[in-house]
This record gives sequence, structure tokens and C-alpha cells, in this order.
Amino acid sequence: MKKNVVFWVGVKNEKYSEKYGGWDWMDITRKSWEYWCKKHDVIFFPMEKPIEEDLTRFRINWQKAIYCFDILDEAGIDYDQIYLVDGMNIVKWDTPNVFELTNHKFTAWRDTDNLGWTYKSIVGYNDFFDGYKFDKEKYFSSGLIIFNEQHKEVFRSFKKMYHRNIDEFVDLQDRIVRKGTEQTPLNYHLQMNNIDINLDLPFSYKLCHIHRKEMFKHSWQLNEDMTPFFIKYGHVWGFSGLPKNQRTDIISQTWDLVKHNYDENHFLNKLAHKDEWCKTTSRKFKEDILRIFGNRKDLICLEIGSCRGDTTRVFAECFKTVYSFEQSDENLKYMKEKCSDVDNIIYSQSDVYDNFEIPDVDVVFVDAGHSTELVKYDIKRFLEKNKNMILIFDDYGQRDESIKKAIVDSNLPISRYIGEYNGFTCTNMADKEVTFVAREGVICNMD
Amino acid sequence: MKNIVFIVDITLKGSQRDVGRWAESRSDPYVFCTKAWQKWCDKNDCELFVLNEEVLPHSTMPVSWQRYYVFDLLEANEIEYDQVMYVDADTIPHPDCPNVFEMSDRKFCFVHNEGSYDWILRSIENYSKYFFDGYMIPWCDYFDSGMMIFNKDHKEFFAKIIEFFHDNRENLLEVESKWHAGTDQTPVNYLTHIEGIDYKKLPYEYNMCDMFRKELLNDDMTFAKWGWIYQYNSIPNNKNDRLTFHWMKKTYEYLWGNL
Repeated sequence: MKKNVVFWVGVKNEKYSEKYGGWDWMDITRKSWEYWCKKHDVIFFPMEKPIEEDLTRFRINWQKAIYCFDILDEAGIDYDQIYLVDGMNIVKWDTPNVFELTNHKFTAWRDTDNLGWTYKSIVGYNDFFDGYKFDKEKYFSSGLIIFNEQHKEVFRSFKKMYHRNIDEFVDLQDRIVRKGTEQTPLNYHLQMNNIDINLDLPFSYKLCHIHRKEMFKHSWQLNEDMTPFFIKYGHVWGFSGLPKNQRTDIISQTWDLVKHNYDENHFLNKLAHKDEWCKTTSRKFKEDILRIFGNRKDLICLEIGSCRGDTTRVFAECFKTVYSFEQSDENLKYMKEKCSDVDNIIYSQSDVYDNFEIPDVDVVFVDAGHSTELVKYDIKRFLEKNKNMILIFDDYGQRDESIKKAIVDSNLPISRYIGEYNGFTCTNMADKEVTFVAREGVICNMD
Repeated sequence: MKNIVFIVDITLKGSQRDVGRWAESRSDPYVFCTKAWQKWCDKNDCELFVLNEEVLPHSTMPVSWQRYYVFDLLEANEIEYDQVMYVDADTIPHPDCPNVFEMSDRKFCFVHNEGSYDWILRSIENYSKYFFDGYMIPWCDYFDSGMMIFNKDHKEFFAKIIEFFHDNRENLLEVESKWHAGTDQTPVNYLTHIEGIDYKKLPYEYNMCDMFRKELLNDDMTFAKWGWIYQYNSIPNNKNDRLTFHWMKKTYEYLWGNL
């Protein structure tokens, strides 16, 4: 059965090890792609050895392009689409399955970061391509491209062209143009062969020149979230355009920030999230709770409406003690099993709207009744108990705005917006798709 | 009915600190913009409309917001129009720039704002929190309001932009001066999505902002060989806007001849 393939290029050439500050970064980026491939049932196929040993005449970038199909065929891979990935890229753990976005076309991303370089490269190769009138608006980066079997012929002819003109290409590449390897020739070759190229996917799927875009920074004015912009908003992070010998250092620092997300044994990866079970919170909601409350073991948390305990487990990670209230016996069983690796949850099976005594807590996750009246009632009684209580709400962005109305009616100031954004969809208990019209959750009454 | 190119070129008394880009010290090079666009309009059978006077005192409404009165201005001046392209006064078109009105599909058109995403994302997040209840826009589609194409179908939308300004004036002015994260641009980006405006993103070549960052702004005039509409913003070490004047003059003379 045909499957999609990530053809990952990670050839460690000892000759250039010093220039690239070692090759440790490749081990890191590889892990991200292995994780992503497993998650999306995609074959991870690493190209770790060159086909041609003479790397002066056959740079790895040329080899990946001209031998990709040969390598896969020889390995007996029954491929559908092929995602050719340069080893300097990390894929974010929650990146959607990009194969589903290609319309089965040759898919690439424009390269608009250093257009001065691109211009010189296009002009430099123009004579070789007989003065072809190249459409610059369609110039793409070859570091991340997706194609399929229908493109086999054009890659075969590209290979032939290279073999026939290898001396001239090496001369252009190393002495005359000195602007890239196979990228510009591949651009010319595809345009001249009228290949329909999909350049419409957002560039968050190819976020390179991160320093030039100033995306190593975080939102320092609000100062609520120290996550660098590229991690927060990018899908595939390309560590290009940086001094090559700093690559290991920068990629290692990035990995230290995110590696837990790729660890199947990390507790977040064992919990259910809203995209699969509408009654819990999203993974992003949980990540935000973890980021904001981190290790606040000085605080005590109350959760009303714990359901199956997926979010409870996150609160247990953050706070000293979690008082969990859930009505359903069945849910309670699930929850105890899910949270069996922690011992700071005090479980109660009771109705929080019937003779409920509020414990002494600092934080409340208000997630029981979802009608405006019940939420208003909750807000009132919690703040009467302790006016400094931090209140966390889920489902703020649901279309009926019942939670939002309760917060507005209670004049409760919103301190943080958390979780998924407007536009997020999930399937409700009636098996209908619902779309959030605002942020999934909010935190109120917090400095 | 002709298509209109609309430019706001107002000079205000006061320092740049007080009146921003409309200060006398900054507006000197804008003559290269209006002259170039006039010639482009002549070539493409369009009409140039330049606003030289404030619609409202800038103390009431900053000049950058006043562009959204364009429909009222055109109608008050009894100008018949089909589509309108607003361009900032620090832009110059290439003489061979295609007729962009023919590319619009009669949608609201703009160009993605490439450049400092630190600035862009801070601006998006700040306005999200303080004006739009945490709503988020697709950041890869964030546009520069320095080039927009629209038509009569967008009159109501522009009226809503003006209404938004007046409803939120105090807060907008406060946030603008506190965060320095833009004036009209980010709110208008939000309103485009919130109002569900059908839009079309044109390629970078039709509003080439931040050219220095892209290594296009050089003495080889690489930018002029790359695309069609040049915007002279975000030039480093641009004391008293001398470099804006230098590059706009140089571009005009290179592409259009002497004034």
C-alpha cells in the first residue's frame, strides 16, 4: 500500500564537520521528524550516505534531488507523496499532516528572505538556461519540497541534465555564480517544464532565516509568554541563514525548550485532548497552564467538573494539591487511573451545586455547569470566599458565549487568554463539528 | 469610470516626534512618489487623487486613520471611480508595473507585510488582548496597509473602520503611544477578518517593504530589477529621513528621469 514518505537528508561529512560546528544538530532534527512521521503514519526515510563519493562534483544537495527517486525505488518503498526535507529543519510536534494540504501538486514555498542573493543566483544561471525568461515570483526554496510519482520524469531529466553538464555546473556553483547548489537550476528546470507548483501554503510551514525575521524574540511587551515567536507560530523551523558553525548550539538550545513534546512517555502525550474528546481541554490549553503556572507548588487548586481527569493531571503537575470534584462514578474511575502516577490529588465524588463547601484554595478551574447563570453563581461564590482567587475557564470561545457572558456580567477582568484560537474545531457529543469563535479559555483575576 | 490611485500627502507643522511621518522633515521625498504615480496613472488610464489637507484635525484623528474617508472624499469631490488603490506616500512604482487593478478579482487586495515579525507579532498580540478579546488573525496573511485595492463594495467596511476608531479613540491613542506597534494597520487587519472581508493577497513584488532587510536596497538598484512597487521604510541609520530622500530621488531618476 502506498504511503507518504519524508525523505530526510542528513549526510554527515567529516570533512566539513568543523565548518558546521559538528553534526550533533542532525541527531536532534532527525528526532523531530521521526516523531512527526510516526504520528501521521508516514515513512521516515533518512538519506545518510551519499550515492556518489566525490562530494565536490556531487554535492549532497544535488544528490538528494537527482537520486531521490532511485534511492526510494531501490529500497522498495511504495511511495505516494515524497516530502524532501533538508536536515537543518525541525518540525513542530503538532504540525498538521502537510501531505493533506498539497492537492497532490508539486508543493514548495517561496524564498523571499534574501532576495538580493536570489536575484544574483537567477541572473547567474540565466545564460546556462539560454536566457529563459524566469518568473521570479515563483522562485522557491528546495530545502523543503513535496512531490509525487508524476514528477519522476522531470527529476529524471534533471539528473540527465546534471550528468551531461556537470563540469559547467560545478564551475558555476563554485567559481562563477557562487549562489547555491541545485536550488536555482531546479527552479529553472521545473519552470521550463511547465510543472504546476503549489506555492500557496503558509510560510509557517517553512520558517527559515529566523534571525532575519526577528523571530527568536518573544512577546516582550506583554511579557506573559517567553516562548520565542518561531516556536509559537511556526510549523517547520529552518535553521538556515545563520552562521553554520552555530547551528548545533542554536538547535540544541531550541531542543531543550521543546524536547518533552516529542517524548511519548511525557505525561502530556498520554492525555486526551479536545481535538479527540470534546469534553476535555486542548493540548494547547494544557501547555499554556503548564507554562503559566509551571511549578507553583505554593498554590492549592480546586477543579469542579473534572470529567476524566485529563486536565486534572496537568494541575497536579503545577500545584501543591488539587481538590478534584466530579459527579460521575465512571469518570472518577478513569481519572484515578489517568492520574495514578501522582499523589497530590484529593478526589471527591459529589455535586458541586448541592451542599458544596468550598475548600481553602488559591486557584479554581471553573468547569462544572456551563450555563451563564451557573457560571455566574460559581464566580460569585468563589470570589466571596476569597477575592484574590484566580479563576480559570474553559470553553470561553464556544459559539453560544455562555461562559463569556457570565464573565462579562460579573465584571471579572481577563488576565490571560489561553488554549486554542478562534477557528479551532472539534466534534461534540452529538457528533457535530463545532468551531470556536474566540479563544478556548481565559484566566481571570491574576496579576 | 476610471480607477483611482489615492495618496495621502499631508505636511504638518511640528517635529517628527509630535506629528510622526507627516512632519515637514519627512515629507520632502514624497514629491517623487506623487510624480511617479501620476506618470503611472497616465500610462494606465487611471486618475491620481492626492489628499493634501486633513479631513479632521490630527489631534482628533491621526492622519494615518484618515485614509479610510476615501469614499467620502471621492464623492465630495464628485470623482467617478471604479476601483481605488491606496498607496503610502513613500512608494514609487516601476514604469512597467502591470495594471494591478486587473489582478484584483474585485476583492479587497493587499500585500503581506514581510519584515520584522517581532514588531508584527507584538502588534498582533497587543491589539488582540486590548481590543479584540483575544481573537487571533492568521499572521501569515498580516498585511501592510500602505497598499490596498478596494471598490464600492467596501464602502461599508471602511465606514466600520472609521466607526471603530471613534468608538475606541482614547484607547487606541493610548496603546499607540505606549506600545509603538502601529496606528491603523493592525486594527484594520483584525477588522478585515472579523468582518469576513473576502480578500486577495498579492505577491511581495506589489508592495516591496523593508527592502534593506531583503538585501535589495543597494547601488545596483536590485530592487528595481526585482519587483514593481517599492516602499522605502525600515531603512537603518535613517537619520532625519535623509536616506528615504536619497533612495526615492535616486529611484525616480533611475526609472522615470528628472523631476
